[in-house]
Amino acid sequence: MPSEFGLFVSTDVSKCSGCKACEMACFQSHNVKRNNVGKTVGTISVPVTPKLYVTVIETASMPVQCKHCENSPCKAVCKQNAIRKVGAQVVVDENKCIGCKDCLVACPFGAITLLPFYACGKQVTQADSGDGKVAASKCDLCFEDPAGPACIRVCPNEALHLTDVNEERKQKNIAAAEALAVINAGSPERRLL
Amino acid sequence: MNGYVQGDPMLCIGCRTCMIGCVVAHEGRHIFEVDPDGYDFHPKLKVIKTFNVSVPVQCKHCENPACMAACKSDAIHMKDGAVQIDRDKCIGCKSCAEACPFGAVQMVTLKNEANIDGTPKTVANKCDLCQGLPKGPACLRVCPTAALRFVQEEDLNATVQAKRLGTLKLTVAAEAQQKQTPVCK
Amino acid sequence: MGVHEIEDAALLFVFGYNGADSHPIVARRIVRAKQKGAKIICCDPRRIETARIADMHLQLKGGTNLLLVNAIANVILEEGLCDYDFIQKNTHGFDEFVETVKKYTPESVEEQVQVSAEDIRKAARMYATSGRSMILYGMGVCQFGQAVDVVKGLANLAIMTGSFGRPSVGIGPVRGQNNVQGACDMGALPNVYPGYQSVTDDKVREKFEKAWGVKLSPTPGITLTTVPHHVLHEEDPKKIHAYYIMGEDPAQSDPDLAEVRESLEKCDFVVLQDIYMNKTGQYADVILPATGWCEHDAVYSCCDRGFQKVRKLIEPSGDVKTDWDIIQSISAAMGYPMNYKNTIQIWNEVIELCPGFYGATDEKIEKNVCVQWPCRSKEEHDTGTVFLHRDGKFAHPDGKAKFAATDWRPPQELENEEYPLSFSTVREVGHYSVRTMSGNCRTLRNLEDEPGWIQMNPEDCQELDLKHGELVKVLSKRGYCITRCLPTDRVKKGATYMTYQWWIGACNELTIGNLDPISKTPEYKYCACRVEKIKDQVWAEKHIREEYEQIRSNMGIKVKGAVA
Repeated sequence: MPSEFGLFVSTDVSKCSGCKACEMACFQSHNVKRNNVGKTVGTISVPVTPKLYVTVIETASMPVQCKHCENSPCKAVCKQNAIRKVGAQVVVDENKCIGCKDCLVACPFGAITLLPFYACGKQVTQADSGDGKVAASKCDLCFEDPAGPACIRVCPNEALHLTDVNEERKQKNIAAAEALAVINAGSPERRLL
Repeated sequence: MNGYVQGDPMLCIGCRTCMIGCVVAHEGRHIFEVDPDGYDFHPKLKVIKTFNVSVPVQCKHCENPACMAACKSDAIHMKDGAVQIDRDKCIGCKSCAEACPFGAVQMVTLKNEANIDGTPKTVANKCDLCQGLPKGPACLRVCPTAALRFVQEEDLNATVQAKRLGTLKLTVAAEAQQKQTPVCK
Repeated sequence: MGVHEIEDAALLFVFGYNGADSHPIVARRIVRAKQKGAKIICCDPRRIETARIADMHLQLKGGTNLLLVNAIANVILEEGLCDYDFIQKNTHGFDEFVETVKKYTPESVEEQVQVSAEDIRKAARMYATSGRSMILYGMGVCQFGQAVDVVKGLANLAIMTGSFGRPSVGIGPVRGQNNVQGACDMGALPNVYPGYQSVTDDKVREKFEKAWGVKLSPTPGITLTTVPHHVLHEEDPKKIHAYYIMGEDPAQSDPDLAEVRESLEKCDFVVLQDIYMNKTGQYADVILPATGWCEHDAVYSCCDRGFQKVRKLIEPSGDVKTDWDIIQSISAAMGYPMNYKNTIQIWNEVIELCPGFYGATDEKIEKNVCVQWPCRSKEEHDTGTVFLHRDGKFAHPDGKAKFAATDWRPPQELENEEYPLSFSTVREVGHYSVRTMSGNCRTLRNLEDEPGWIQMNPEDCQELDLKHGELVKVLSKRGYCITRCLPTDRVKKGATYMTYQWWIGACNELTIGNLDPISKTPEYKYCACRVEKIKDQVWAEKHIREEYEQIRSNMGIKVKGAVA
């Protein structure tokens, strides 16, 4: 059954090695049709443009990616209606994007940046000048791929997982409820009515 | 330490009156005056039933809240000894719901508030200790078996102190048993 | 026993009774009893709330009540745990009882009952040796084709251990609805006048004929559950032509709803007197709207025989009358004028004519809040009877208790190839019974709404590929309904349960009208069903919405969002 709220990919920071396999897989899965990018290096004919962004500090690393917010600030500010919901997921239509940067600024997570995009091995260009276009680029949860998010599948350390807050909540609630039985048993005096 | 409401599975009969009491307390009188489909029914606690347990699960107003740490929208703050979510600032990113280990935060869609693009607003919802409401937590007032209680710092300190004394006495008695010498009271 | 005595029992033997879901206030007593150190033995096929906090949960298979009860009696006898003194002084029939029960060894029943012989023995010992054991039973006993026998079986346990006639012991039938006890006390039964005085007793009949100035019939009438038979299958003079229904919703709560509908449609004249519109109202020729709680004065009887006053607090709105006013008006129109001005006059007449209620004056009930009958003296000092059978005096003419044991028989319709699951109706707390009243409470509707749920074991759900919340079709030989799947490990594999308050998820489409031969209560707690997956969930959701609108339109409900 479809989820009521947007699913998103979360990282277990203790497992991420910063290898960027996720970025490669993301780029590949979004360009296999339109740019014939295969699964080996020799098939890459366009610059690598992922939709999640591995961020590194001295002690940790993780890919930062869209959380598919319910009241997504990016969708709220996009005047071109280039950002829409597909089911519960938030998706950018590159062709409608005018690169105004409002969504980039609005996103509190830094999950959006502007990147060039390609079709048939060539950069998509402006209508008049022929200069290259850029568009908002962010995780779309691989919504067009029946196999689901490529990043999760490719991570060698299994550091990424798909988060459904409602499903996780059910499991957490059960554990919390069972814990209350133990907690109350430990009270020195059960309150008498 | 923050106070919080805690349920006891040995007293809970799973009736869910607490959930209704929560909504009625937060909505106010108008809930009974408007169209029955015109108000939000979003209890801030949920009665969970497993094979051995029936009990409400709700926010524990942690001292170092995971939800507050996860919120990038500045929507979660400590206020007068409770962890509070500011709905106006919430962008529905679900980070707090994801972060809470108890599942005490639930995402809820509001009927009477919309985003600027007209889509319904979905925000994080959790126990707010009925702060700002005249009589304090409603759930524990309506529970027919008094299964919910308001645990405050004094209660926790008293519990801990009692346990410490108990531990000391036990240890003394055990040692005396070992040495077979009578204990002076 | 009085309800308030529950919390002071040393052991509560809760058999086929779900306090938390039926009567939260009684459940509170059970919870308090546990806090006060009572032991609890809960006999129920589901992991109900009481089972959760019980010291022993005997999770018996549905339909095996008398096997378990007789086995417990067997252990008490075999291990010499009876109160032989009490048996000798205050009972008879003990030898025949022993004869019947001696073959019900725990080992012989454990496989069928699905409770180990060891647990049966342990429970029996706990019950017999606690010193202050109280039995609580409910619909899990009464709503079977073999019901009265099980009640007697439970009574045997109390008698053989001398658990009568002192505080916090005995046997408590926890009645279903608020004031169902009152309905019985006032003689809304086909074989007795008010106060349980038999219609076949000439002296009694003469007393009432004199008081009321009319000739009265010397033969008992028929029970509610046999009405469909008397409409559809009897000829005159036995055939029923008119059905006057007051405060009941047979088209929702009687078994085999297809048959009920047929009998309502074919009955010449149907009157409904109730406080809100309900399913039965759709078939009524005349509807008489009555006042509800808070809008009239009344006396209610609690399940423990306690009379309590109910007072008018608000003026009723709309074209409504109180029940007694309606009856008085109809009576006058039929040629028998009544002249009551208020409920106190009616009450005074009741207690005048019923020796067991004689002392329960309005002032006494007002003063003492609750007066448990029998209360035979108008003197102030007689404030009623908390527990019966004091000093071992019982209601039989010889003053002794009578043992009565029978052999077990299974439910009429067992699981079979076409219908491989068992089906039972239950309650849940929140909405009450058929929801005529509580359906109008908006917050209860927020918690639970159509089409309700069918509780199923997760393994059965997995086998049928069913997920939580999915709409499913539930069928039995008699009919079907559509409801949502609720996987829960609180029910055993092979068993399913539904509450009986939903119009769409109408579980009584499935139930069987197999009546206990004496009480005539139907076997709601056992029949066979099948659950089918509905592939097109979109269609199913649309269908139930449309069904709901159709019913509401039939009922003349105009306000959007209101229920009845």
